[in-house]
Amino acid sequence: MSNLLNRLRALLFSGRPASFAVSPASLAVMGREIASTQGVEYDCNDVYRLLDQFAEAVQRGEDGAPWMPLIHAHLERCPDCRAEFEALMRALRPSEA
Amino acid sequence: MAPSGFRDNAEWLSDLASSGEAQDTALADLRATLLSGLRRGLTAWLEPGSPQLEALAEEASQEALLRILDRLESFEGRSRFTTWAYKVAIRIALTDLRRKQWQDVSLDQMLEGPTDQRREATLIDPEGGPETTFEQREMLDRIGRILREELTERQFAMMEAVALRGVPMEALAQKMGMERNALYKMMHDARLKLKRRLAREGLELGEVMATFEAGNSWGGRVVREEGG
Repeated sequence: MSNLLNRLRALLFSGRPASFAVSPASLAVMGREIASTQGVEYDCNDVYRLLDQFAEAVQRGEDGAPWMPLIHAHLERCPDCRAEFEALMRALRPSEA
Repeated sequence: MAPSGFRDNAEWLSDLASSGEAQDTALADLRATLLSGLRRGLTAWLEPGSPQLEALAEEASQEALLRILDRLESFEGRSRFTTWAYKVAIRIALTDLRRKQWQDVSLDQMLEGPTDQRREATLIDPEGGPETTFEQREMLDRIGRILREELTERQFAMMEAVALRGVPMEALAQKMGMERNALYKMMHDARLKLKRRLAREGLELGEVMATFEAGNSWGGRVVREEGG
């Protein structure tokens, strides 16, 4: 697994020197993400494992669990996990029927 | 066999793991529960009551039933069983939806083109306008140099695609032949590397951002899309 990851890293992150331009728009959005980056973050698998428990806690208005800020931080920057959380919260709403 | 619709977690597990009528009834109840949850859950992406939503909800609930039966032992009981089941079904449905929405978009298009209309509602012209201050341009040059030194063009494009244009990580990862989680980890490594480099350069990102907030609209000319 680590070999595969190393090969992917080499494929993605090697190559010619970069010559791209950075727009103010990129800086505005990516700057916030860089500034809020922590050494230890939950990844998508961590968040998926806890998402049902997290959604019920949010639904009850609880935010005391120590792992909850880690999930909030991940949802801020991962559009896929954020979409799954939003869909789950919608699913948990009482049916109108 | 528990009465339909009134099962607690233990009863769901027991009925689904049984056989015969008890299991059949539990499967039918769970399918109806998942369908109902998906119809509510997917309304941010598909029109309520539309054939697209109904078809996706049907497909995803069927696949979720199989996956749930296969992984019953992985349910840890930290939530209601139905919430856990919704989570499984929603992952299946949204993965399928993203796959269909992005299947005809190449990796290059993902990395280059504007894609998410909602995210593009406010664009900033990289050329800036006369209102861009010298201080802001100087700061942009400095940050740009650091980004170019620390990231490859492709790495920067990936981060920009997800953060700025709303390209789903899942779609991007799939085109790159990797898992979404591995892509997230790589992007985290890149963000952390940049954060440390900026710190070594004595740049606090909060101050950098303030440089642009103090001016107008991040120092660029704001262009609003018509009809967005």
